[in-house]
Amino acid sequence: MENILEVKNLCKKYNGFELQNINITLPKGMIMGFIGENGAGKTTTIKAILDIIKNYTGEIKIFGLDNKKYDKKIKEDIGVVLDDMFFPEILTPNDINTIMKDIYKNWDSKLYFKYLTDFSLPANKAIKTLSKGMRKKLEIATAISHHPKLLILDEPTAGLDPIARNEVIDIFQEFIQNEECSIFISSHITTDLEHIADYITFINNGKIILEKTREELLEDYGIVKCSKEDFEKIDKKDFIKYKKSKYEYEILVENRKAFNKKYDINTIDKITLEELMVLMIKGEK
Amino acid sequence: MLGFIKKDLLMIKSNLKIFAILLLIYIVMAFQGQMDLSFLLPFMSVMVMISTFSYDFYNKWDAYAISLPNGRKNSVKAKYLATIILIIATTIIITILSFTISYVKTKTIDFENIIPTMIGSLFATVLIQSFMYPANYKFGPEKARIVLITIVFSVAIIMGVVTTYVDLSPLIKILDSISAYWLIAIPISMILMLYVSYKISEKIYNKKEM
Amino acid sequence: MDIIISNSSNQPIFEQIKQSIKKAIATDELKENEMLPSIRNLAQDLRISVMTVKRAYDELEQEGFIKTIHGKGSLVATKNIELLKEEQMKEIEKYIDKIILISKSSNISKKEILDTFEYLYGEED
Repeated sequence: MENILEVKNLCKKYNGFELQNINITLPKGMIMGFIGENGAGKTTTIKAILDIIKNYTGEIKIFGLDNKKYDKKIKEDIGVVLDDMFFPEILTPNDINTIMKDIYKNWDSKLYFKYLTDFSLPANKAIKTLSKGMRKKLEIATAISHHPKLLILDEPTAGLDPIARNEVIDIFQEFIQNEECSIFISSHITTDLEHIADYITFINNGKIILEKTREELLEDYGIVKCSKEDFEKIDKKDFIKYKKSKYEYEILVENRKAFNKKYDINTIDKITLEELMVLMIKGEK
Repeated sequence: MLGFIKKDLLMIKSNLKIFAILLLIYIVMAFQGQMDLSFLLPFMSVMVMISTFSYDFYNKWDAYAISLPNGRKNSVKAKYLATIILIIATTIIITILSFTISYVKTKTIDFENIIPTMIGSLFATVLIQSFMYPANYKFGPEKARIVLITIVFSVAIIMGVVTTYVDLSPLIKILDSISAYWLIAIPISMILMLYVSYKISEKIYNKKEM
Repeated sequence: MDIIISNSSNQPIFEQIKQSIKKAIATDELKENEMLPSIRNLAQDLRISVMTVKRAYDELEQEGFIKTIHGKGSLVATKNIELLKEEQMKEIEKYIDKIILISKSSNISKKEILDTFEYLYGEED
């Protein structure tokens, strides 16, 4: 089993929203960043992977096993942070330990309390007394304390300050030190993913519009800035999208080195995920 | 499974203080002879369990639970089992309290009055909860509360109307004559109610879009 | 060994890693047969993706600077000094090409270039 997560032709219809033929492949030992606007379908995709929603079609395999047929077996090895969904807030971190001991075979109380200490989370205070950032950290500690092989994280860094985001990203990278483990992480905070994600999957309006390795996207792709005259000289085949503003044209190209060889335009930069998102969504072809 | 039951019991535990105070007030009232203590049983356990539904709903626990091993199967089952545990616990507490209060007040234990009232309350508790849970899973706690109030009021009104306008003495006679079977009939009907309610809740939960 | 990564540099991160490692090999900071940090470890320490480090290591291996022993990790290959020199010569040639191009286009003689070179080289030496 080389792929930890495989989604094939996932479709789901809601009122006024549709997931269309979602395909995702996440190999072992890798981090996949799942990016897109709010409402693009990130959470719905994750809910389908976890079989939380109903009436979707397509095939979802986790650890090579069908997600419905092997529900219990699979979930023993998955850790999740879901946007807004967690234990009732009158419970305490201590209570979570008591409960999880009986839910996961591999629940590691020692590890859990170590994370609580590392994150300076009080064990005896109700969840509702914690700040938003502390709550997220608690959710993360809860997600990884049973030694899962796959982490599915929906917006795990939302609401965290930069220091906390750093701590959390450290934990994710620590997690991936084991080559058997993978992370599927959705976020609209793209800077978090820019460096650590090995794959970037981009969802827009219920469709996957891009699935590439980080290397291809951030090292090969480029953003060309040029004048209208220069833009008109460029072959349509040589760029993916463009956006025009008052003073310049921004053009997304697949390979900045190749582009540089062909055209005499000097301002070609590396692209950030944020720029990529904006150009892919707002750009024209 | 055990973990899911523990979760509900721990939630109840975190509300324990409020219920201890409530219990104290009622004990004082019972000593003054103002209120029959047995009424506490349905009131308390229904209140406690409904508050767990509200918290579950508010923090979207049910969706989260499905991401845990055996979550979809166990989370409804655990709710019913926790309820049974709670009902048994409150029944024992209230029964002992009633006996004690009765003994302190009159130096005898009034079995003849206490036990039927206890059974009556127990029955009412199970009845209300059997209706409430599927309603909770279907409509959420806000609307389910309205369902509860509607049920209680309509039952009260119907009872009121029936007792004023209909002569119930023949029925009471019949019921009296079969009173020996009550001991069996009541527990069986309670179990049956809970079971049917559980099956309905499970079906609703399994079809629900979380 | 220092590996310094600049995010604002237009040079890809994997390229920056390669150069840091090559430099460490050239200055003998990394000795022959010395183990390199594991891919995952380095990725964690640099807070970058595993694939980025892997790409750097793969290319270093292709270029003959390091070798990877399956299951053990990567280590510095032997005879790397000549390789490195060759590599750097290529780099120098690139600049010389540019010098020639500029000097030809602006009619600067070969002698003038050589004089300048000697002057600058001598002074810096």
